[in-house]
Amino acid sequence: MVNGKFNHEQKQSMVTSLTAAVAGFLVLVLIALSFFILVRGGSFFWPQSIQTIIFQQSNGSYQTQYVKLDAKTMRVGEEIMHYRFSSAQQLFSGQLTLKQSSIISAEISPDVAIIELNNGGTVIAKVASINDATGNTLGMQAFEAVQGNIVKLIASTELIRKGELADIHRALASLDRRGVKADAPARVKLSKRFYELQDSLEEVEQELAGFTLNVAFADGSIYPLNMREISDVSFPNSMGLTDKMLSALSAFAAFISDSPKLNNTSGGVFPALFGTIVMVLLMTIFVTPFGVLAAVYLHEYAPRNKMTALIRISVNNLAGVPSIVYGVFGLGFFVYVVGANIDKLLFSDDLPAATFGAPGIFWASLTMAILTLPVVIVATEEGLRRVPQSLRDGSYALGATQAETIFKMILPIASPGIMTGVILAIARGAGEVAPLMLIGAVKFAPALPIDAEFPFVHLQRQFMHLGVLIYDGAFHSQNIGNGSSFIFACCMLLLLMVLSLNLIAIFIRNRLRKQYAQN
Amino acid sequence: MLKLFEHDKLDVNNLTPEQTAIEVRKLNLHFGEKQVLEDINMLIPKNQVTALIGQSGCGKSSLISCFNRMNDLLHGCEVSGQVLISGNDIYHRKQNVATLRTRVGMVFQKPNPFPMSVFENVAYGLKLQGVQQRRKLDDAVEQALRETGLWKEVRDRLFESALTLSGGQQQRMVIARALALKPEILLLDEPTSALDPLATLHIEELLNQLKMQHTVIIVTHNMQQAARVSDYTAFIHEGKIIEYSDSDSLFTMPKRKQTESYITGRYG
Repeated sequence: MVNGKFNHEQKQSMVTSLTAAVAGFLVLVLIALSFFILVRGGSFFWPQSIQTIIFQQSNGSYQTQYVKLDAKTMRVGEEIMHYRFSSAQQLFSGQLTLKQSSIISAEISPDVAIIELNNGGTVIAKVASINDATGNTLGMQAFEAVQGNIVKLIASTELIRKGELADIHRALASLDRRGVKADAPARVKLSKRFYELQDSLEEVEQELAGFTLNVAFADGSIYPLNMREISDVSFPNSMGLTDKMLSALSAFAAFISDSPKLNNTSGGVFPALFGTIVMVLLMTIFVTPFGVLAAVYLHEYAPRNKMTALIRISVNNLAGVPSIVYGVFGLGFFVYVVGANIDKLLFSDDLPAATFGAPGIFWASLTMAILTLPVVIVATEEGLRRVPQSLRDGSYALGATQAETIFKMILPIASPGIMTGVILAIARGAGEVAPLMLIGAVKFAPALPIDAEFPFVHLQRQFMHLGVLIYDGAFHSQNIGNGSSFIFACCMLLLLMVLSLNLIAIFIRNRLRKQYAQN
Repeated sequence: MLKLFEHDKLDVNNLTPEQTAIEVRKLNLHFGEKQVLEDINMLIPKNQVTALIGQSGCGKSSLISCFNRMNDLLHGCEVSGQVLISGNDIYHRKQNVATLRTRVGMVFQKPNPFPMSVFENVAYGLKLQGVQQRRKLDDAVEQALRETGLWKEVRDRLFESALTLSGGQQQRMVIARALALKPEILLLDEPTSALDPLATLHIEELLNQLKMQHTVIIVTHNMQQAARVSDYTAFIHEGKIIEYSDSDSLFTMPKRKQTESYITGRYG
């Protein structure tokens, strides 16, 4: 008597509650996911306090260190702390793993600094003094003046190197080619000037090397850091909330504009961000016309028979093919067959060094275009289906051919549907990692796919990708700490990137919708 | 009732070629197995309004669709016989269908404005013909809108979406869109059935002016409308022309029993 238990209204409200509960759960999951990624990723940028801890070593003696907490873990009922510290031997890779019970005291002293180096490393120490080139000792207040001095000196050396010195090099080289005697006056004059410049450069270099920042570690030892290696000194323990926010913002700006440092565990991710965006845009450029034309044929021209139905089913099933299969296809077909033949035909001078016969961003985006093709086709067909027959009739009645009707009337009206397909394709393409690792995404790429060097767009180049960077980071640093918050920061960035690409596409779609609204 | 005393009505069965806009010879139309039109023979007079009346599904819409070959778009539609416009068979295999449709315009039951501006709507057909010059387009659009009496209402909102117009304005704009191509013949498939009485009145007045320049063929359910606006009327029943003559005679003194039953509302 289940049916008799509840009346009609109760049944109604039960169905409502059930669906609402499921929707609510979904919202919770979404919030949890973005919150987790944002918090863990954001903490990469947030300046963390430096503790001064005294702890008991395994041999019973006591030691003091300035440390930064990386992570806490639980093991056999006891908390294990993972710390990072600096010492003269391990300037920025010192790691301490301590049981909670072995820590005697922990305090936060305001004058401990975090010194960031140009190579991406950070040194945790107190700042003692600054030495200038002549050996004078200056106080910390001179820091900015000294840094300004160094920037000027470096700029002057760069000017000499790239300006006059390069000219002389070129002149000397051309003299050589013409077979000018070694003691010809012009050559001697140039050589003399060359050595003069070399000497002055060396002088400046020496002066630069003289500037040092002396830092003191917790054990009292002093270590001189070369000033020109230092990018920033900050005191997180004495920062207010505003300072911390500003510092986090500038850290984020550096993160998206710098190159990775120290084996992709520090520094920025600009090449990966750039590579991801270029790959996604190229993919969109390839997939949109392909998908739209295929959908136009399937929906407008193809006869309604079993063959067309079969093709449509196959297209839908293509969306379900595992992405790694596309990766293998891209490598096996595009790179080894198409690319190798392009090399044979067009770049035979460079062989055996491959140009297009090697994984690169062109093949990667082409493979991703094939991967996302079904999405675009299905969405476009849906858009075409929504164009009412009356509008088609109206167009035909005005003397339009089928092609004119499709391109001047139907496609513009279906364009919001096409944009939906593009949005889904972008979302799928930007997040894909597995196929990319086979066809061009690498851990570190020395050059960007688009740069100032002729012909500016280098589609044969390998590229860096945020997803691959995350995979690589997660795979290579199973130990907690080192690099793990870097991975979360990458995740956050990837999420933000996909979100903003989608927002742009949605914005365009809404404009198209408004333009081609039907009643 | 003045019309009753006009005696310049033509005999639709004996038109000279100069008086004929469309000549239909032995036209048969099948949808798959079903025969929709059976042995239609008729002469449609030039620069007159001809109405086609009959029950739903009698084939009157299919018949006017034959005049600009809109039937071609439907699957399983087969036509035999001839439809001659200016002496040329439009079902000849060398006939360009797109060109034909620029000469024979068509307006449908429900207004179907394209989701574009009023200007773009009216200029759509001309642009397809390759007219690019802004001046020419402007002039043609203005002229077409003036012909339908819409110019004064929309000249300030030419570049607003056509969907903001009222239903009656939309239908007149759709007529203007067809007129912009200067067609010889204008086919109207129940053009007022989705409109309110005032908008219907506008369109009916418009039809009277249009026949100066164009041959107008209108399909309608509404017999009062057919009597009001048309010069000639054909009554179609189950795919056959039962009676075809000038409207006054057909509505006042029908010769066939079936016609009489229909116009007096005894069936249909």
